[in-house]
Amino acid sequence: MNAEPGSMPAVDIASLSFDEALLELQRTVADLEQGGLPLERSIALYERGVALHERCAALLSQAELRVQKLVERSSGALEAVDLRSGDASEQE
Amino acid sequence: MSRRHPPDSDPLWADLPAEEPASSGVKRAAPPDWALPSWDSFDESAPAAPARPPRRDSLIPLEADDEAENEVTPASAPVSAPAPAAPPEVVPAQPVFELRILGVSEVTRAVRDAVRSEPALRDVWVEGEVGRVTVSSAGHCYFTLKDERSQLACVFFRDDRVSSPFEPRTGLRVVAHGRVDLFESQGVYQLYVTAIQPAGFGDLALRFEALKAKLTAEGVFDSSRKRPLPPRPQVIGVATSATGAVWHDICHVISRRWPLARVVLSPCAVQGEGSAASVVAALNRLGRWGEQLRAAGRPDEAPAVVILARGGGSLEDLWSFNDERVVRAIVAHPVPVVSGVGHEVDVTLADFAADVRAPTPSAAAELVVPDRVEAAATLAAFGRRAGTRTLTAMAGFRAELTAESRALERLHPAAQLAQARERSGYLLDRATRIVGDGIERRRTRESALWARLGPMIETRLGTARSAIERSSASLAALGPQATLDRGYAIVRRAADGSVVRDPADAPVGDLLAIRVAAGEMSARVAGKDGTAPGHGGNPAKNPRRKDPV
Repeated sequence: MNAEPGSMPAVDIASLSFDEALLELQRTVADLEQGGLPLERSIALYERGVALHERCAALLSQAELRVQKLVERSSGALEAVDLRSGDASEQE
Repeated sequence: MSRRHPPDSDPLWADLPAEEPASSGVKRAAPPDWALPSWDSFDESAPAAPARPPRRDSLIPLEADDEAENEVTPASAPVSAPAPAAPPEVVPAQPVFELRILGVSEVTRAVRDAVRSEPALRDVWVEGEVGRVTVSSAGHCYFTLKDERSQLACVFFRDDRVSSPFEPRTGLRVVAHGRVDLFESQGVYQLYVTAIQPAGFGDLALRFEALKAKLTAEGVFDSSRKRPLPPRPQVIGVATSATGAVWHDICHVISRRWPLARVVLSPCAVQGEGSAASVVAALNRLGRWGEQLRAAGRPDEAPAVVILARGGGSLEDLWSFNDERVVRAIVAHPVPVVSGVGHEVDVTLADFAADVRAPTPSAAAELVVPDRVEAAATLAAFGRRAGTRTLTAMAGFRAELTAESRALERLHPAAQLAQARERSGYLLDRATRIVGDGIERRRTRESALWARLGPMIETRLGTARSAIERSSASLAALGPQATLDRGYAIVRRAADGSVVRDPADAPVGDLLAIRVAAGEMSARVAGKDGTAPGHGGNPAKNPRRKDPV
């Protein structure tokens, strides 16, 4: 993936969140649709689009809901601690 | 009463009126020995009667039939009018003879009639706690109302029930309206409920409306204050009870629809004393936590939306969600709040204050997150668009490439030469044609002009000629010639050619030129008339001839 000037830096797709990947995918498609890109750039964009799409789809199908509870420390600081899914009654 | 019994039902009963006409046969004898136990049991229940509310006395007039002496109260009067007459006759005094055995339906009917004839029971409001509730397959609802001492069977028929905004639920305190009647086949009396509402409703409803009006006037519920929900929140705060199904349901819905999110519970009490303050504290904790994260530069981890939820319950149960402090905490919350309080029919002020109101907690959970199935479809569409666009772009490139190679062929030297030659030949042709055409065109135009001009000149010349002839004719007519022809002469001074009209114009000796019809001649002035009459031989000297024209 050659990063052309003015384009987004080629971040490692595996580290992107769903929203980040989706946003970049949208931009990629928009760029492609605008046209007027050099051939090499078009193909690079397309390949990145495919990878982004795969990343989003994987996130959608594999994600597992994180369930947490907000607890207040004696210092007054608030902290979210993990709970088993759907169960909050412990230490209630 | 006795007159309602069929005369043939019991011969013993039939002779009563004859025996006791004065008391209308109401007074009946004490039971026979074999019947005593059961009659005794009636007697035992009799003393309890006065302890009941007064109007209930009328419910037991039949029991009173043989214990009227105990029930000195006139309450039984409406049913068995003659009863008051009985006490003096003291039943034990005449026990045995009036025994009459009744059929079950007779008793039941008598009770029914007694109940029905009591106006106080036709239209009653009863307050109590709802006991067991059963709904039949036909949709009728059967339940009991109870207080510390008694129970009352109630039936709420389907038609009334479906039109009622409120349903009896076990444990609720309610006020039911209806009539008391007997269900004969079971021999039970029941309250036939026509309307039901929570007890204390009036009071709470008033407070609700007053607070609602106040907050509305303040603009707290304005739709302009509502904030849009984030499309895909990464973190969702939930303020609800840590125990109970609501929290579980919310987690379940979000995990099914959008497991990419993180839900964070901020537990609170949702009913009872202090629950309003607890709800406010839970909301504030979420708000504060979000601020902390944003301040720490981790805004992505702060809740983007908050669900405030509680399961269904009575109006009192939900009351903390009508608390002004809760309303204000919702409105002041830094991120949009979605309310899901109670069931669909329950509307609290918290619902009005929330940025979005969901009918139930699960619906609230559905509202805050997208559906991953839909998202996957959208994604797939994006993927297809990217693919299509790339293919189109590549097709474009290919077409461009073809065009370029054609251009290259055209630029080959030989091709260019041939093209130039062709082009120059063409240009020459064009130039020749243009010049030739021009000349030809001009020639044609000129000859046409000449053709038109010739006749025109001819005509003009003829016209001029005849005009000249006409002019010279008139000139001839107007000129001196004709006058001269008639013998006149024109005399001019030879020196300056001026016409002599007066002898004084021509001094003696002056040379004159005299014109006559056929020509001119010269003469010299010899003298003036009178001075040189001898010289008057010159006709031109005749003064009359000198002023001709």
